[in-house]
Amino acid sequence: MNEALKVWEKRRQEYWTLAVKYLRLIGNSGFLFTIYILFLFGSYYYGQFLEWLPETFPAVLFFTLFFTWIVTRGRVRTFLKQADVVFLLPMESRLKKYFRASLKYSWMMEAFWVTLAFLLLAPLFNDRIASGGGILLSVLLAIFLLKLWNLAASFEEQRIQDDRKYKVHLWLRACLNAGVLYLLFSFMHVIWTAGAALLLAAIYQFYFSRISGSLQWERLIRIENNTVRTFFRVANNFTDVPHLKQSIKERTWLSFLYRLVPYSRENAYRYLFGRAMIRSGDYFGIYIRLTVLGMIFLAAVDISWGMWLLAGLFAYMTVIQLETLAYHFQTSQMLPLYPLKTSWKLAGVKFWIWGLGLLQAVCFIIIAAGEWLNAVIILIITLGMYFYGINYRLPGKIAAD
Amino acid sequence: MDPLLTIEHVNGGYQRTKPVLHDISFTVGRGEIVGLIGLNGAGKSTTIKHILGLMEPHEGKIKVSGRELTDDIDTYRKQIAYIPETPLLYEELTLWEHLEVTAMAYGVEEKVFEERAEALLQQFRMKKMKHWFPDHFSKGMRQKVMIMSAFLLEPDLYIADEPFVGLDPVGIKSFLQRMQEMRDDGCGILMSTHILATAEKYCDRFIFLDQGRVLMQGTLEQLQSQAAMPGADLDDIYVRMTEEDSHE
Repeated sequence: MNEALKVWEKRRQEYWTLAVKYLRLIGNSGFLFTIYILFLFGSYYYGQFLEWLPETFPAVLFFTLFFTWIVTRGRVRTFLKQADVVFLLPMESRLKKYFRASLKYSWMMEAFWVTLAFLLLAPLFNDRIASGGGILLSVLLAIFLLKLWNLAASFEEQRIQDDRKYKVHLWLRACLNAGVLYLLFSFMHVIWTAGAALLLAAIYQFYFSRISGSLQWERLIRIENNTVRTFFRVANNFTDVPHLKQSIKERTWLSFLYRLVPYSRENAYRYLFGRAMIRSGDYFGIYIRLTVLGMIFLAAVDISWGMWLLAGLFAYMTVIQLETLAYHFQTSQMLPLYPLKTSWKLAGVKFWIWGLGLLQAVCFIIIAAGEWLNAVIILIITLGMYFYGINYRLPGKIAAD
Repeated sequence: MDPLLTIEHVNGGYQRTKPVLHDISFTVGRGEIVGLIGLNGAGKSTTIKHILGLMEPHEGKIKVSGRELTDDIDTYRKQIAYIPETPLLYEELTLWEHLEVTAMAYGVEEKVFEERAEALLQQFRMKKMKHWFPDHFSKGMRQKVMIMSAFLLEPDLYIADEPFVGLDPVGIKSFLQRMQEMRDDGCGILMSTHILATAEKYCDRFIFLDQGRVLMQGTLEQLQSQAAMPGADLDDIYVRMTEEDSHE
């Protein structure tokens, strides 16, 4: 086997050994069960939803736009590593097989996601666009081919060094995709679709494959890192992923919250935890998602005990996620040198979790507004969960640190 | 009066069965810069970790202003500013916030903090990067953040572990200049390095570490006479001493 191909194969295996470990953890965490429940509920409401959807719903346009997004996004995953800039760079011209394998692999993975999206929308497709297994399958195959074209073109286009030009190419591809998909979904004569396919092939042959320039290694590594990070970030919701390098989001619109930290020695931990909570990792993202999801569920259920249960459940899930804030600075080597009391640390974490808890309780109450008793019970249950998490679970985490 | 930093017969290391430091004793007085000199693995960083209280000595005592860490952790820590070998930054804090939280933690008054911080940014030419995140910093800029955080506190004792690594010439100059000012104000500075030419120029005394032991200590003249190498520079003395040691 070709040397480069061996390296590729080894990297793919390494990645999947790791990925399978995490997938198993995710599977064991009750997540699959939740998906199953959601699926049961979902399929029931899906039928109702289709009946409710007005005849005038622009299904073709919807499918065109949705799949334009699916097909345009995503790039070739190369399994490149930072150190390759030093070690593989001299072999650049001999790496053809390496990148061909990457393209094939990325196509397979993307095909999986395309299929999943397509299956989810299949009932809508059957109802509004066309029905029949053969048609469904041939449309899916056509989308696969379009995806392959996009991946191949996007790999060639990464050679363009200028960032602005590079982005323009992405948008141009999106436009082409939209055009082709529109032809496909509106079931114009098959000749049109075939013509579009020929056109794309020609564009690839005469334009993309002739883009000159060497590989943009830094960019390829960035793409690789982003792909891996997305997966690990999902896994991180279920278990602790050690090699997840957190990206920082500044979220300037929340910076008014920092004013809640007056300048004083006791507040040093509050200062640090506040910034960690808002900018780092997924604390704030998870909080927002769970809160919004909780509100949607609360709004959907009209039995009062069901609402209480959901409020409790979502509050509990949120507080469990937020508790991990306590570990955030565990690996910091400067922090232990500060002349600070350990009790201030607990107080610093508590402050922010209580704040978020109160805000979440308010969000949940708004849904139940109008029914006073219901609202009061939801308030008590939500804050009760936070009280439990903060006073019984959190101190142990700080002590274990 | 007690010296600022006293290390008395310290044995230490990660495992009791395998001590890395053997009977280390030295002092750092007020108003002096002391160079801690040694090859890679001589025990410089381990010695520093013991002084900072990150590791406990198996035997012996470490005192700052006559008091041990266990007497009063807060007072002990407040007297020391540490510049680590590799910059340790909070990825979620901007440059300015690093300075602010350090000043907060050490109880520097807000007004004083702002004055000092602005002056430091000016001196180390980091004004433009005030609101940047460490992600956008080069190695040298990261090191400057650590150095500024230390000088911001104006403590009695500075501990700097290889502070020059990655610094640009302006950075090195500003750093050394500040250190001399601090020394003249009566602070003590312990600086580990293997850039001996710089050490020779700026340090008042030297401690030679080798394989976890103090090989020699004293001023340049004292070292020259101990080694019977009059007029020799620090480089030559150190190389000679470690050679002799390895012949034993």
